[in-house]
Amino acid sequence: MNEQTEYTVDTAVRICGVDFKNPIITASGTFGFGKEYAEFYDINALGGICTKGLTKERREGNASPRIAETPMGMLNSVGLQNPGVEGFILEDVPFLSSLDTVVIGNVAGRTEEDYCYAVEKVSALDCIRMIELNISCPNVKAGGMAFGVLPESVEKITKAVKKYCHKPLMVKLSPNVANIADNARAAENGGADCLSLINTVGGMAVDWRRRRPVLANVCGGLSGPAVKPIALKMVYEAHKAVKIPIVGMGGIMSAEDVMEFLVAGATAVEVGSANIFDPHTGINLVNELTNLMKRCKIKSVYEVTGSLVV
Amino acid sequence: MKDVLFTLAEKKLLCDGVWEFTLASQEALPPIRCGQFLHLKLDGAFLLRRPFCIYKYDTHSVSLVVAVVGGGTRRLAELSAGTRLSAVLPIGNGFTLEKKHRKILLLGGGVGCAPLATVPVTYPDREYVSYLGFSRASNVMFEKEFGAFGKTVVGTDDGSYGRGGYITDILAADIDALCPDIILTCGPTPMLKAVARLSHQKKIPAYMSGESHMGCGVGACLVCTCAVKQPDGTIANKRACVDGPVFNLEDILL
Ligand SMILES: Cc1cc2nc3c(=O)[nH]c(=O)nc-3n(C[C@H](O)[C@H](O)[C@H](O)COP(=O)(O)OP(=O)(O)OC[C@H]3O[C@@H](n4cnc5c(N)ncnc54)[C@H](O)[C@@H]3O)c2cc1C
Ligand SMILES: Cc1cc2nc3c(=O)[nH]c(=O)nc-3n(C[C@H](O)[C@H](O)[C@H](O)COP(=O)(O)O)c2cc1C
Ligand code: FES
Repeated sequence: MNEQTEYTVDTAVRICGVDFKNPIITASGTFGFGKEYAEFYDINALGGICTKGLTKERREGNASPRIAETPMGMLNSVGLQNPGVEGFILEDVPFLSSLDTVVIGNVAGRTEEDYCYAVEKVSALDCIRMIELNISCPNVKAGGMAFGVLPESVEKITKAVKKYCHKPLMVKLSPNVANIADNARAAENGGADCLSLINTVGGMAVDWRRRRPVLANVCGGLSGPAVKPIALKMVYEAHKAVKIPIVGMGGIMSAEDVMEFLVAGATAVEVGSANIFDPHTGINLVNELTNLMKRCKIKSVYEVTGSLVV
Repeated sequence: MKDVLFTLAEKKLLCDGVWEFTLASQEALPPIRCGQFLHLKLDGAFLLRRPFCIYKYDTHSVSLVVAVVGGGTRRLAELSAGTRLSAVLPIGNGFTLEKKHRKILLLGGGVGCAPLATVPVTYPDREYVSYLGFSRASNVMFEKEFGAFGKTVVGTDDGSYGRGGYITDILAADIDALCPDIILTCGPTPMLKAVARLSHQKKIPAYMSGESHMGCGVGACLVCTCAVKQPDGTIANKRACVDGPVFNLEDILL
């Protein structure tokens, strides 16, 4: 008898009262609104999916080129192109409502009022189980990052939107800050129910022969395996700083990577760029993680979270 | 769209730095139309897939024409027959002909001729005239392939083969006699701009297949967008991968 297939594992996690089948969530901006990947596999097998960053009004985003390949990573400068809250409700909510996986609404804005408006509208939707507050987009001049850098502004924006948020509030932290622990604590003090990190790391690519930047926007956000060590350090430091759960991300490509984030203190993970590299990444990770847990005789994800010994 | 596992069945040098690859699949391929492309996964350090137009297709194989321009295409050129490769296909809207389009003008520049070769395969019941432009005699390709579809004119910029001059200038001199119902084109941006002017002057609709740097290739990440004029006059950023890669030359901001 095959011992491996007999050993049963429980991949489920609960974050702020929301049940996820497993800790694999697809990250904002890399998974659209789910439809495109549903052509490749049953996306209901995922722990959850996170929408593209939604803003009060429709946005066209930045000029192209918006992507550059870099050593073990990629830069993007999409700049929050999205259909706006109204467009989202018309075009995407019907499909999202048909899903049997946790849908997290990622929300961004230019002003505090915009944030509150979008958070209230999106969090009121039945299909949305959680809000991820994007205060860390490096690709938009006004808004996004402006709220995410100083701990005072992180606390202020969190407090402001919390009043309008009908669902658990997850605050997504930027790595482009002086001290991630301070910002994690600031979000917790502001009323965040959980944290997610990291967003992309500010970066640039240069075409020296043409004396030009590769991205039309000049600078962009770095993601993919290149940022994993930065992300692990920040998840570790944030986990030490706060009591609320943490969703970790940055460069996850394999189930081994998922385990590293869990050990460093994450309760679940988000997977971004890896979806771009391979459309089957989500389902592959769910299966690989289950098999890895069986092989290593790990009964539950909770055995792993924060188990780092230093 | 499907991620298909292929074997590199054949590799052929077409001219200096340009290869034709034939990829074979065990399982039947999803239905392919002209002007669609695939997204090829390379190994190791190349995280992003590389997009290439489908040059030939049948139920179990596709061919691509690849110009070596950087690290990824160089890596491809090093692969030997028998190598396994996976690719998502078919991607994109492709070229669409209406019933009223009887006489089709195919206008290709260099490697850009490749996607046009699938049009007569998808729409066999039309009349085709092809104008193919290359920089010089040593770069001339596809003459025989397009010759099989109908009248084919080859031009070289330096006049070393066929007619001399830019292929768009050669076409401009002939177009009144040809009177095509539609122009389908692919090639470098200056060529596309010249076709756009010609199409506007002669009031002949023209569609082009464009290139833009891609991420997911499935429509989810929005890194591949290009600016396209909408019916209401506004400009929207459309995804080159799934809303394109074929756009009306009149609407696209080159
Ligand atoms: C829809 C579509 C169809 C294409 N069809 C063909 C074809 O049939 N034959 C052919 O030879 N080439 C084609 N190209 C261009 C081809 O994809 C690039 O030449 C190739 O990706 C270059 O890769 P590299 O690693 O050699 O170059 P590098 O410059 O090292 O690549 C770096 C990055 O930039 C991207 N990139 C570089 N040049 C281009 C380009 N012109 N267009 C899009 N992305 C680029 C690469 O994909 C990679 O992500 C097509 C592009 C698109 C978008
Ligand atoms: C193309 C692209 C678009 C993104 N768009 C968003 C976005 O709209 N909102 C957001 O919070 N994060 C966005 N991100 C950041 C990712 O959600 C994630 O935080 C980051 O890429 C790190 O994870 P990864 O290395 O697994 O990609 C985007 C990332 C990429 C690559
Ligand atoms: S490449 Fe991702 S949307 Fe076109």
